[in-house]
Amino acid sequence: MTRPDAAPSIARAAAARGTGFFGCWLLLAGPGWSNPAAAPVADVVVGLLAAAAATWASLHLLAPTPGRLRLGALGRLVLRFLWQSIVGGIDVARRALAPRLSLQPGYLVYPARPPPGPRRALFGALTSLVPGTLPVGTDSRGALVYHCLDLRQPVADGLARDEALMIAVCGEEATDV
Amino acid sequence: MTLALNVFTIVAVVLGLVFFLAGTVGLLRFPDTLTRLHALTKADNLGLGLVVLGLLPQVAWPFGGLKLIALWLLALLAGATVGPLLGHAVWTHARGREPPP
Amino acid sequence: MSEFLLVAALCVLGTVALGLVAILRGPTPADRLSAAQLLGTGGVAALLLLGVATDTAGVTDLALVLALLAAFAAVAFVTQRTPADVVAEPASPPAQEPE
Repeated sequence: MTRPDAAPSIARAAAARGTGFFGCWLLLAGPGWSNPAAAPVADVVVGLLAAAAATWASLHLLAPTPGRLRLGALGRLVLRFLWQSIVGGIDVARRALAPRLSLQPGYLVYPARPPPGPRRALFGALTSLVPGTLPVGTDSRGALVYHCLDLRQPVADGLARDEALMIAVCGEEATDV
Repeated sequence: MTLALNVFTIVAVVLGLVFFLAGTVGLLRFPDTLTRLHALTKADNLGLGLVVLGLLPQVAWPFGGLKLIALWLLALLAGATVGPLLGHAVWTHARGREPPP
Repeated sequence: MSEFLLVAALCVLGTVALGLVAILRGPTPADRLSAAQLLGTGGVAALLLLGVATDTAGVTDLALVLALLAAFAAVAFVTQRTPADVVAEPASPPAQEPE
């Protein structure tokens, strides 16, 4: 991981995360101010300190990965998962409220391309919102195991599309396999 | 305009209630622990999302509205973390008792 | 509008109360925790509805704390127990709940 652009990449990640944390702090503290422009300086200093501490912790807990996010693809990913989580909710609700339960639960082994680590975890978390799938672990060959509500649905096709979109967002990481 | 926004609020909140009900019914009706987890992680997150959507026209902007959206994203993140975590624990146990899938 | 939101909050609380049956019924600790998670999300929704209905901004912060605590409860549950504990069914038939 000793790349020549490692330092700027950390600085950029710190700036981006710090801005995000300060934004979160503004959301938490902001509604108390009648006029955001007249916020007391002392309050804002506390907020900046809190954002700096959060950034420090976040850089230690989750080191920035090299490479840039592709924003266009990120937008498509966010839209797809919002839509998928809506479809997933409707799917579960329809099954729960139907007079006769229509379930065929079972396991599906999916050889996910993101390597074990933060990206695999992110892929698992995102796909847990997809209709009818819940990642439950990794098998002995390193493939993700999903529990499915209904094995009659084309679950693997959907997962492959999610995976392709996620790789379009963060780029493919070299795997050790 | 206010009337239209109020109708929007009512429709979205009522739809949200339907999903909360569905989550509870799924929790009570689905046959095993993992299928119940599906009901939990998907239905009630959508219910909360619809309630938040319905409340958006009723709160002060920008802070009030953005805070509601941030709260929903937090709940979504929590659901997406908790579901696989619990699923993993249940699956590990189930695998110990019978041959892996 | 605030009357409608109050009634909606009560309805959410009603479904959450139904979910309490699942906490009693189990049968495994993981099932009970699932029901408790439902209580977390439902509680957040009910608090948000109450906060807007009564125009109390602070209630949103309560909802935020509840959402955080529900997530941390689940994480603590999973990390502090062995997998066998998570799905262990009661060894003997459960005693009748006192009415």
